[in-house]
This record gives sequence, structure tokens and C-alpha cells, in this order.
Amino acid sequence: MLKKIHHVGVVVRSADEALMFYRDALGLAVTADRVIEDQGVRGVLLQVGGSEIELLEPTRDDTGVARFLATRGEGMHHICFESDDVDAELEGARAKGLELIDQKPREGLAGMICFLHPKSNHGVLVEFATPLPGGH
Amino acid sequence: MAIGATHIDHIVISSNDSAATAELFARNFGIEIKRTMSRPGTRAHLEFAKLQEVVLEFAGPGDVQPYDEVKARLSGFVLAVPDIDAAVAELRAKGVDVGEPHAAVQPGAKLAGIRSGTNGVPLALIQYGALPIPAAEDA
Repeated sequence: MLKKIHHVGVVVRSADEALMFYRDALGLAVTADRVIEDQGVRGVLLQVGGSEIELLEPTRDDTGVARFLATRGEGMHHICFESDDVDAELEGARAKGLELIDQKPREGLAGMICFLHPKSNHGVLVEFATPLPGGH
Repeated sequence: MAIGATHIDHIVISSNDSAATAELFARNFGIEIKRTMSRPGTRAHLEFAKLQEVVLEFAGPGDVQPYDEVKARLSGFVLAVPDIDAAVAELRAKGVDVGEPHAAVQPGAKLAGIRSGTNGVPLALIQYGALPIPAAEDA
């Protein structure tokens, strides 16, 4: 069962420059900041209440995030629902016939994650996440 | 000093058929559409779901035109603050371009749009309880 909005993903050219607004001006606390090599992104999570804002800066040109930035520019990229059981959510989506990007959950900044194809959601990219024990 | 944002108040999903997109999200993700409305003074059709503290707002035209396919996109989010006038002053002091707080559609709430620094995200602040709520006979 989906519990809440875990985060909204925002693609940015430079996480450092974006932090000048989201961290320094808005005053949001950074809860994670790391490069995920196999996804070619630097991800930064900032907490606001029970949810987070995820800044995504591409570190290579051959990734979906880099292509998004090149074609659409900076902006909102995806929405992530949190669940206690990302495997069950993925199987449930598969059973409903939704088109999947990830065939099985993988580790991401928000924990164990998977993405559904936007085609199944009128063009909106959706992620499921189950945070790992101990948080980020 | 921070602006004291307490949570993401709502996330806007714009669609050329907001009722269809809301129904799809309800079916795909098991979320419950709690409320529908037409925004006063406009022809917008809005549908709302809520997951804990965050509202998903599905926004689209009141008169749905014929379309080849339903298209939706994430089109912004709003942060709740306890004192919008102080938050706006704080951001302006830091060089951020912020609109003047004004009455929001939500009864008693004030809203201010942030116009710079958001990395392409339509972003606004909202404070509930900032304005008196008109009595029913005055509304």
C-alpha cells in the first residue's frame, strides 16, 4: 500500500547552484547527497515535513536524466510514492498491465526503488520507493 | 534564518482531462479522489487526493476538448509556511523574486508565487489561517 509522497524529483543543471535556493534560501535540510554512478546522476534529497525534494544533476550525457535536461530543460521530473513493500507495489503494477521501466527494484537514493513508464500514467513518470533501514 | 516550510502542501498535475488523469491515478495507485471542484472565476476542473499531509491536485480545463490522447505533466508544487509575510520578506532579502501574497482559492489562505531561483519548477508558498474565512451568508 502506498503510504505517502516520498519525494518530488527535480532535474537541475547544477546541484550546487540549485542548493543555493533550496537549501540556503528556503532553508531546507539536506538528508542525502551522493553520486549514483550506475545511473549517471548526483542526487540530493532535502527534507520538507514528511516528504523530500530530490535534486537530480546528470553526471553523464547518456542517461534519461541528461536527455530530459537536454530536451526539456530544468524542471519537475517525477513523483515518488513511498511503500513498505516496493516488490509488492511493482508486482501489483505489473498485474495491472502497467508498463514498467524497472523489472525489479534496485537501490537508489530513496532506498529500494523502481520506476513505472510514463506511458501508463498519461505521461507522468512515477517512482515507488521503500526506504532502507536506517534511512539514507 | 529559514522560511519555516512545514511540508509540501500540494503537488499539481496538469492534464488536458483532469478527471481522466485523476481516475487513472486512483486505479493505478489506489489513491482516493476526495474532492472535485471548478475553480471560482475560471473554467478549470480540479480533482484532489491526499496522501498524509500532501494533496495531489489534478488540474485541467472545465470543457474538455476532443483529444488524441490524455496528456498530463507535473506542473508545480506549493510549500506550506506558518507566516507567509515573514517568509516572503526573508526570501526577498536573499534576492529571490517573490510575488505579493494574495488570497488563495483555499478559504482563509494566502499564496505567493516564487519567480526566481526554482530551477524551472513553478513553486509557491501558502499559509492557512492567514485571512478571516467569510461566513456562509457573506460568501
